[in-house]
Amino acid sequence: MIITGSAIMVRSGTDKAVEKKLEAFPQVTFHGKSNGGTDLVVNFECGDQEELESLCRTIRDSIPEIVDIGHIYINFEDEIDKMKGELS
Amino acid sequence: MDLTRREMIKMSAAGFAAAALNISLPTPSAANEEIVVDKWIKGTCRFCGTGCGIYAGVRNGQLAGIRGNPQAATNFGFLCVKGFKGYISMYHPDRLKFPMVRGVDDKFHKVSWDDALDKVANKFKELQDKFGKDSVAFYGSGQCMTEESYTFNKLWKGGFRSNMVEGNPRLCMASAVGGYITTFGTDEPAGSYADIEKARTIFIVGSNMAECHPILFRRVARHKLQNPDNVNIMVCEPRLTPTARIADVWLPADPGTDLAVFHCMARELIKNNWTDAWYINNLCRFSTGAQDVDFKAYVDFLEQFTPEAVEKITRCPAGNIKEAARLFGSHGPSMSLWTMGLNQRTRGVWANNLIHNLHLISGNICKEGADSFSITGQPNACGGVRETGSLCQLLPGTRSVTDAAARADVEKTWKLPPGTIDPKPGFHTMEMFAKLGAENDQTKPLKAMLTSTTNPAQSLPNAPKYFKGMKEGFLVVLDIFPTRTTQLADVILPAAFIYEKGGVYGCSERRSQLTQKCVDPPGEAKSDVWIAAQIAKRMGMERLIPWNGDDPQIAYQMAWDDYRECVKLTEHSLYGMTYDRLKQLEAGLQWPCPDEKSPGTARRYVRGYDPIMNMPEIVKVPSSALIYFYGDKKHEGKANVFLRPYKGAEEPPDKDYPFFLTTGRVIEQWHTGTMTMRVAEIARSKPNAYLEIHPSDAKEYGIKEGDMVKIASRRGFNILPARVVKNSLPGILFVPWFDQEWDRMINRVTIDAFDEGSKQPEFKICAAKIEKLGEPKDVSDMYIISDPNAAFPEKI
Repeated sequence: MIITGSAIMVRSGTDKAVEKKLEAFPQVTFHGKSNGGTDLVVNFECGDQEELESLCRTIRDSIPEIVDIGHIYINFEDEIDKMKGELS
Repeated sequence: MDLTRREMIKMSAAGFAAAALNISLPTPSAANEEIVVDKWIKGTCRFCGTGCGIYAGVRNGQLAGIRGNPQAATNFGFLCVKGFKGYISMYHPDRLKFPMVRGVDDKFHKVSWDDALDKVANKFKELQDKFGKDSVAFYGSGQCMTEESYTFNKLWKGGFRSNMVEGNPRLCMASAVGGYITTFGTDEPAGSYADIEKARTIFIVGSNMAECHPILFRRVARHKLQNPDNVNIMVCEPRLTPTARIADVWLPADPGTDLAVFHCMARELIKNNWTDAWYINNLCRFSTGAQDVDFKAYVDFLEQFTPEAVEKITRCPAGNIKEAARLFGSHGPSMSLWTMGLNQRTRGVWANNLIHNLHLISGNICKEGADSFSITGQPNACGGVRETGSLCQLLPGTRSVTDAAARADVEKTWKLPPGTIDPKPGFHTMEMFAKLGAENDQTKPLKAMLTSTTNPAQSLPNAPKYFKGMKEGFLVVLDIFPTRTTQLADVILPAAFIYEKGGVYGCSERRSQLTQKCVDPPGEAKSDVWIAAQIAKRMGMERLIPWNGDDPQIAYQMAWDDYRECVKLTEHSLYGMTYDRLKQLEAGLQWPCPDEKSPGTARRYVRGYDPIMNMPEIVKVPSSALIYFYGDKKHEGKANVFLRPYKGAEEPPDKDYPFFLTTGRVIEQWHTGTMTMRVAEIARSKPNAYLEIHPSDAKEYGIKEGDMVKIASRRGFNILPARVVKNSLPGILFVPWFDQEWDRMINRVTIDAFDEGSKQPEFKICAAKIEKLGEPKDVSDMYIISDPNAAFPEKI
């Protein structure tokens, strides 16, 4: 399980619309936004990194108001355990 | 993972993200960090020259999380895909875990550290006794920790008395070094990243920042987004890269022709009075390189570079050049940012000079928002190699080995007898590899080489030319994975990754940041400093390199303190950067930082900002001078504005090889792909190299998307799938250089001609031809070399 703390940068004035559209993605938890509404703070929860990348790509493609998705925090302890389990 | 723990991690993650963005969350994210990880350890990212600050989370003795450091002045908490996923490389099963020596059966066999180090030390001694002190070389890296580069440099120059020390920054930054030193008399930028957010015009030249320095580019893009009408972005680049897509003005000059563009811009600045008379009269010296001239001579020289004449040479539209000059000169403050497009050229130093020219004559330097800023490619080319003097002509503090006073000062600090350090520079990188070879080959004076954290068998231009020398010489390779270079080695020594040892990286903006050790390395892998110190001990140099204990945290700090002492009274002083301060300060420190009270230096050469201005023991600056380029060898405080003649590439296209070939990086993959290709998600997104070709060229050759194409130069060929893209210009081909697979290693095709001043090769430009070989074929094999005993593809 990968859990991120991420920032979604959106075009000015589109924050409410983007928040609504993000509700269609159960892997995304919305936490708050900047005063100007151009940065949304979210979690992404995915099975692994590949799923995370795929999800971000899908979100970017389906929500044109999004300018950028940047990750600031990532927890991956499950993935290391899995990798080490697979290696031994 | 139970629900409570998951929720705590989510809240903690959101809290960190919010902190990075200065956002207060409506519900308190009172995550208990102790539940998430055992400890968070401050450090820097392993990859590019941006120097992103990170925190590595450790739980049960292994990495469990990575987050950007919101207090870091470089990245404000953001990380790119490489920074986040680099940890996966650490845990890959291909990690080298024990020393290996090539046996008589030509296979590598595991040996003990004692056996491996004895073999290396004894062989080095034997060769030095037989062939002289300069028969054994060190080739390091802009990815080594500063303490490592310093230690190897000290061992070679102080211990072996040999200047046969080089590093792969010769391949990426030497022209930038040459540009700064010839223009300003001293290396590295005057300003800082913080100038980005103060600039009104940003000139990105020879740099695909969006892919190669994405977090720094993020700062540029956000600044533009927040000031769409007041900030202008200009990009000079032959490809319409993701960087160029945000440009207000795109200057698509043919590869190697941009000297004409820069001269034309200077001409426009002068003709339209977008210059600063005070700067010109007080801070500029006009020079042909051979002799000083006056401003009028410069104006007369520039007259040939009319926009219309330059358009004919470069294909860059005259109107675009004029507009770029207008913005640069009248819509400042203006900042230029560049990397390999200027540096990896046979006229790289001149290209750098001409950008500095624009800033000097227009007064766009030494002010907030105004700087001519060379971005470094690797994370520690500045801090580790340039600043510690780990190149064949340098000493710590970027001083010259030919400078008697500098040699005397270093000898005194290192407690060596006067006259120990050789005043004659060693071989530069291309010469070093050209002269490496077998003991019985009298044409090859270099008989052995130790390489660290670099992969020259893949990264050297025209690489096949150098394979025989690496194979026949005694080659010792320190690395974390098998590579093309380990395939040619005699001894492989397994190295620790950054988070397994710690150390300092110094990024593009003269900022040193400390990474502390987070976890233990796998197997028997060791830190580079330990390896260097053990070799030193075996060769009788223990007093020179006394930091030979097993704890890297102690050893690295000892090395760092030795280095601080060595450069204490230089323009590059970082004496005030103790390990304690670097641990405490979230953002690290920028040099000059001459004492422990110094907050570091965001802007050099300006009184009130730069402490060196008030340190006559280092350099004498007139008390009346507000701005003074104290590196000026003529002691006038001036910088040189050069009248460099126009000259294009060494090998432009011709009727036999009608295309420009240029190479570069992509956002996901790092350098030769040895780390990033081992990250599954990165490997899947960029599983193989490819040939970017313009639609009109593709049509002419009957090439469709995905078709297999042979690209050949006078030196070699690759076979690559085609990507037909409009973001190329007709006549220009691009291939990324991360692929290790034999048929897709593009440095089998590139040229090894180099800049006569900097000795940096011209990776960016050579002449090539193409032919369609066949229909699309799946080559997305994500090729890596997993077995150290995998055969080298070419018989040597």
